[in-house]
Amino acid sequence: MRRLSAVVIWALIFAGLGLTLMYLKITRLAVPLVPSALATVWDVEARVGFEGRGSAAKIRLALPQSPRGFSFIGEDFVSRGYGLAVGKGDGDLRRAVWTIRHANGGQALYYRLKAYPGRVEGTGQVRIRQPPAPEVPQFTEPLASAVGAVLSHVREQSADAMTFTTLLFAMLNTADDENVKVIRESVTTEAWPDLVIRLLAAEHIPSRVVYGLSLGGDFADRELTPWLEVHTGERWQGFNPDTGEEGYPANFLPWIYGHRDVVEATGVDRIRVTFAAARSPMTRLGIARKVENALDTGLLSLSLTDLPVRTQNVYRVLLMVPLGAFVIVLLRMVVGIPTFGTFMPVLVALAFRETRLMVGIPLFLLVVSTGLGIRSALTHLRLLLVPRLASVLVIVIGVMLAISLLSAALGIEQGLSIALFPMVILTMTIERMSIVWEERGPGASVREFMGSLGVAIAAYFVMTEEHLMYLMFVFPELLLVVLALCLLFGAYTGYRLSEILRFRDLTRP
Amino acid sequence: MFGTWLALHRRGILGINARNRDYIMPRNPRRHYPLVDNKLSTKHLAIEAGIAVPTLYGVIESEYDLRRLDALLASHPGFVIKPSRGAGGAGVLVIDSCRKALFVKADGRVLSHHEVAYHTANILSGIYSLGGVPDQAMIEYRVRPNPIFDAVSYLGVPDIRLLVYRGMPVLAMVRLPTRQSDGKANLHQGAVGVGVKIATGRTTTGVWQNRAVSEHPDFGLPLAGLEIPNWPQLLELGARCFELTGLGFLGVDIVLDQTLGPLLLELNARPGLGIQIANRTGLRGRLAAIDALGALPETPSARVALTCALFPD
Repeated sequence: MRRLSAVVIWALIFAGLGLTLMYLKITRLAVPLVPSALATVWDVEARVGFEGRGSAAKIRLALPQSPRGFSFIGEDFVSRGYGLAVGKGDGDLRRAVWTIRHANGGQALYYRLKAYPGRVEGTGQVRIRQPPAPEVPQFTEPLASAVGAVLSHVREQSADAMTFTTLLFAMLNTADDENVKVIRESVTTEAWPDLVIRLLAAEHIPSRVVYGLSLGGDFADRELTPWLEVHTGERWQGFNPDTGEEGYPANFLPWIYGHRDVVEATGVDRIRVTFAAARSPMTRLGIARKVENALDTGLLSLSLTDLPVRTQNVYRVLLMVPLGAFVIVLLRMVVGIPTFGTFMPVLVALAFRETRLMVGIPLFLLVVSTGLGIRSALTHLRLLLVPRLASVLVIVIGVMLAISLLSAALGIEQGLSIALFPMVILTMTIERMSIVWEERGPGASVREFMGSLGVAIAAYFVMTEEHLMYLMFVFPELLLVVLALCLLFGAYTGYRLSEILRFRDLTRP
Repeated sequence: MFGTWLALHRRGILGINARNRDYIMPRNPRRHYPLVDNKLSTKHLAIEAGIAVPTLYGVIESEYDLRRLDALLASHPGFVIKPSRGAGGAGVLVIDSCRKALFVKADGRVLSHHEVAYHTANILSGIYSLGGVPDQAMIEYRVRPNPIFDAVSYLGVPDIRLLVYRGMPVLAMVRLPTRQSDGKANLHQGAVGVGVKIATGRTTTGVWQNRAVSEHPDFGLPLAGLEIPNWPQLLELGARCFELTGLGFLGVDIVLDQTLGPLLLELNARPGLGIQIANRTGLRGRLAAIDALGALPETPSARVALTCALFPD
């Protein structure tokens, strides 16, 4: 009992470790459980166009910072000949700074961003801090009294920052009020959001302008849209600054907050930033990988997709071998099917993987039966073991070659795949089979052979299961779970199904 | 299916998985395996301890040694050639007598010197050994079985299998060769196993091809009621094998020679479980009864007495 529990503890540790890693990958990196799920990724491009004066130039572009609703899965800069530094500027603002000694004529710098419209946790979200209460602005007459009247009217009806903002907008949008008219006519359209911010500040409500892009369809040559964000005490809430409607435009990607220029430059003329966006499909796995790279989360970021493609393909196959071995564990320990050699069926199943089952089984039977016939002929020559095995090996390869040549001549392509069979395993199978044949008769021999073949076919179906292959490749930590299961079955002391048959006479009283 | 499972469990039938994990692994230290896996070392060990074994005529160790074979065989009309690491009776060649230049097998078929040499060479190459490693061929005394089993054995030499747990014989059976087993006393090869009462040495019921039987499949004679001679002596021989090997879960194969009495034939560190069918008795209960005793007597004879008291039927 004590030994059993030790096994269970180890199994739980391994399984727990494997499943935890898998869980973390799924939740934190959004690695999908199903393959080939495609998601839309936005390629957003900021183009900074300007004219150089022939002197030293310095261009600073504000960069967006993982806003909510988006995960940035990659960014790059196109800046031929310019020195580039990316860093935090004043406050939390992230900036790209391009510098050059001589900037001449029309120039363009690009910043490209891949944004995935879906949240992936842990992608360095901006910490939400309670912003300081804004300074109470001073208004000049006649605006001051109009503002005072409107604010006190709204204040009476509202309960908190949220309702105050909503009611204020409702009030500002009713055109028949004289005070509203005074306020509305006091500024230009561009300055309107600013005025709203000052009105809210008078009520100690923090608010800010955010400039961003509404990612709807593909577009080019667009500028940032201003939007209003009001802090409701818990979070920033978006409002349409013109209509007062609550919420954000669809797929709103905030770029810069507050009254700061997106681009600042010295030594250049006619600087202008325009934005373009395009959708591109990307597998969810690819996205998760990109996020991982951006995050560099240590152990989690180790992935088979970092390997060269050729090695990846090797591991795609190799990672299935433990599952095949586990099938053998089940079929031998729990069912009790006899096989030639412990892992021979796994190797045969690997060969079936390449040849396909419908072709593999007839070819396998053909080679083994031919080899068996020739092996029995060799018995009469009374050869010693090792040379005899070598002879059978030569004959097996000869048979394989003959099948390939014959099928090539007949134009049957499938016959060529015979070369994928593990010939040493075939040789050992033939040898073992012929010995069992001599010692225990053809019945036992064929029975054991069919057992091996059956196990190989079962292992084949498990090892070629698309979803399992995907899971093993993407979550190689599942190996720990397979290990845990093997440990558990290593401590299985129940009957085998074959024993239930064997001992059936003992159940009679 | 599940009903059968429960019934087997209730009757205390030991399965292979449980045998391996609960008894063989804790009771049989791996380092003692070579003593029993190699019949030659078992034999040397037994001779040292004064346990009777079939006389060893000689050992052929290499292809070169094969030249000695003829000289070795010439002085013995009957003999047995067996691989020292063979399993399950594989590769055992029994020669009854010598006629002119030919050897006569137990079933009357004859072999030439060439064929006997080829068989020996096969043994050396490891064809019958576990894992196919090169082996040695042992040539030894051909046992003349006690005639008590003559009526119920088809050629060959019947032997007695004792299952010895921590030096206590817990179950016993006689293995009788059949036509199907080609004179071999191995259950896998078609021999019939007959349960023997530990306390009395009297045969009870049988097993053949994993089925419960009460008559010999070839002769139709009843298997029950045979009295095995020298039974207490035989049990003690089995019990002594525990000290001999240090293996706590051991199969002991003993033959009854017409003139020499009980001889130790071979030992098995992974004894089969068909013995349960032969005795219609599950092993678990008996093994648990012994484990419940705590410390066991030191001497083999005291252990045998204790076993007989513990399992009167």
